Amino acid sequence: MSAKQRKIIHCDCDCFFAAVEIRDNPVLADKPVAVGGTPEKRGVISTCNYIARKYGVHSAMASATAMKLCPKLIILRGDMNKYRVVSQQIIAIYREYTNIIEPLSLDEAFLDVSNSTNCKGSATLMAQEIREKIKQKTGITASAGIAPNKFLAKIASDWNKPDGQFVVLPEEIDDFVAELPVKKLFGVGKVTAEKMTNMGIETCADLQQISNFDLVKKFGTFGDRLYKLCRGIDNREVKTERKRKSLSVENTFETDLQTIEECEEKLEQVYQKLLTRAGRIEELPEIKTLFVKIKFYDFKNTTIECPGHEPDYDVFSELLEKAVKRESKAIRLIGIGVRFKEDGSGEHQMELFE
Amino acid sequence: MKFCISKEPLFTSLSSVCGVIERRQTLPVLSNLLFTLTLEKLIITGTDLEVELVSSVIEDLEVSEAGDTTLPARKLLDICKNLPDNAKITFSIKNDKATVTSGKSRFSLSTLPAEDFPSLEQISPDTKVNITKGDLKTLFDSTSFAMALQDVRYYLNGLLFEVSPSKIRTVATDGHRLAISDMDKSSGVTAEHQVIIPRKGVIELQRLLDDSDEGISLELSSNHIQVVIGSIRFTSKLIDGKFPDYERVIPVIGDRIVSIDKEILKKALTRAAILSNEKYRGVRFTLTENNLSIQAHNPEQEEAQEEIMINFNQAEFEVGFNVNYLLDAIGCVGEDVVELGFADANSSCLISGSEERNNRYVVMPMRL
Repeated sequence: MSAKQRKIIHCDCDCFFAAVEIRDNPVLADKPVAVGGTPEKRGVISTCNYIARKYGVHSAMASATAMKLCPKLIILRGDMNKYRVVSQQIIAIYREYTNIIEPLSLDEAFLDVSNSTNCKGSATLMAQEIREKIKQKTGITASAGIAPNKFLAKIASDWNKPDGQFVVLPEEIDDFVAELPVKKLFGVGKVTAEKMTNMGIETCADLQQISNFDLVKKFGTFGDRLYKLCRGIDNREVKTERKRKSLSVENTFETDLQTIEECEEKLEQVYQKLLTRAGRIEELPEIKTLFVKIKFYDFKNTTIECPGHEPDYDVFSELLEKAVKRESKAIRLIGIGVRFKEDGSGEHQMELFE
Repeated sequence: MKFCISKEPLFTSLSSVCGVIERRQTLPVLSNLLFTLTLEKLIITGTDLEVELVSSVIEDLEVSEAGDTTLPARKLLDICKNLPDNAKITFSIKNDKATVTSGKSRFSLSTLPAEDFPSLEQISPDTKVNITKGDLKTLFDSTSFAMALQDVRYYLNGLLFEVSPSKIRTVATDGHRLAISDMDKSSGVTAEHQVIIPRKGVIELQRLLDDSDEGISLELSSNHIQVVIGSIRFTSKLIDGKFPDYERVIPVIGDRIVSIDKEILKKALTRAAILSNEKYRGVRFTLTENNLSIQAHNPEQEEAQEEIMINFNQAEFEVGFNVNYLLDAIGCVGEDVVELGFADANSSCLISGSEERNNRYVVMPMRL
């Protein structure tokens, strides 16, 4: 890899689904709005606007809980096709600047603009223009982070949200990460953050005091990554094609399932859903593992998996039974899926006719 | 419509046309067979809109009332198969129900109107190719395995059939390997002719062929091929497309030619294949002085190595191949010694018998 300084933009729309809905129905602009499932059907919030966030509503929260926090919350069903159209418009704007685009979701992407000649090569100006164009063409606002790598760009895009951007210049990396709370690091969730707090670690500067050896001892392979991240090092490239790693489907039930028999009964429909989804993929990669995930009524998850080469109903049924037995609690959601073999062989068949 | 027939002629006829029926159907009538009954014969037709098979039966047939209808193919075949030998079967069709009885067995099958059954248009052949069943079988068997399967380059999902007055050739390729088979025989045509027979047509026609010297005549029109074999008439649409210029990809081989006993090579490759990557099937050939080494390994880091003594004194080199492509090709060489010709690690390998070169196979390498 060349030692040339990279310029990465992380672009992220502000409460995307909700923003599209408000754009199409401006009366909603000054009201708390969310997109998600209805509380009666035990739905979950997928996005909400900033007014709703003030009440403590956030994505992945049960809609019923959200309604308790914010009784005036307007929950809309959402229209994926509409969002997809907007997403395509946005990607078209990115393409004016670079072809190295890694979409993370409908509204979020990494752009590698290192070799882009737009705006005299200024990534900061490019991000500014991209955000303006998104606003003009789609009517929604986006935030951006500009940095020499993906990790920093992603954190930076959150810095001046909504409708803002933040730049981390190469010479500012050290100061920027020193202040950064460890829980901002990708992969550091509640549990790891707690572990670190117990060790007296709050910021990346604290983390930098610990040797690579000790980090690996404490956190396994993730320790090695932590060692690099807390120094602002991230060499991952912007990948234009993301390989599908797994395929899964899940159903949340209107009333909690109490018995194994009830779960078994529902498994059939989830299984059919998986087969339909698998059928839509043109070239299904080789399957490595089958897994079942269940969510208990208290939102606690458990996942169980085993090796397998095809989506076998009986195997899912066995896994489900094992998972259900882990806790004697009512079940809110059943998910099943397959993980694919990683394609790391490097073998490549050459063509007769180019 | 009413008739009585013995199990054996009916079963023979049903099983020869049933192969064309696709298991999953968009049009319900395509799961059925068309029964056309005159006072002398019963004609059974099956189609998938691309290939049509028509079989006529006259043996052991007693017709009480002529008529036509369509009956569910797979069910009828299974019923017929499981009836006792020499059973007499009576068919009686009224309204939209067919009653099939034999001894103490009775079945009521639903029918669909004969008018709904799609027939291929009448073909007006402009070329007639004379060949024996055995020769056509050899040509097909030597090449059909290399046809593409559901490739977007639709013209590869079939077999190129090329005739000139004194030569018949078949060619198939899936873009990774290519198979060519030549036969120097008088074909009865006056000018060169080239058609692409779709995959399904090739497979169905192969089922009707055997090794006999019985002459048959392939009738070609601009968009169909038709041939009568015994009591069966086979018709297939042709692929309307341009087959790639295959001559261009047949490599010109210099000195890097090795001759190997076919069975020894086949067995070595089969063993090495066991430990190749299940998906990519790559094996590495290393040619050094008088030695060919074949190596394979899989993601679990297991390895296979085979060594074969050869007569080789050129500069050593390495090249990788999909072992399945090699085995397919070698399996079709009708001689005891195969000849492998190489250019370099990025060029294709040419495989043929060491004496005659009726069958030639081109396999593109893999980067390993």
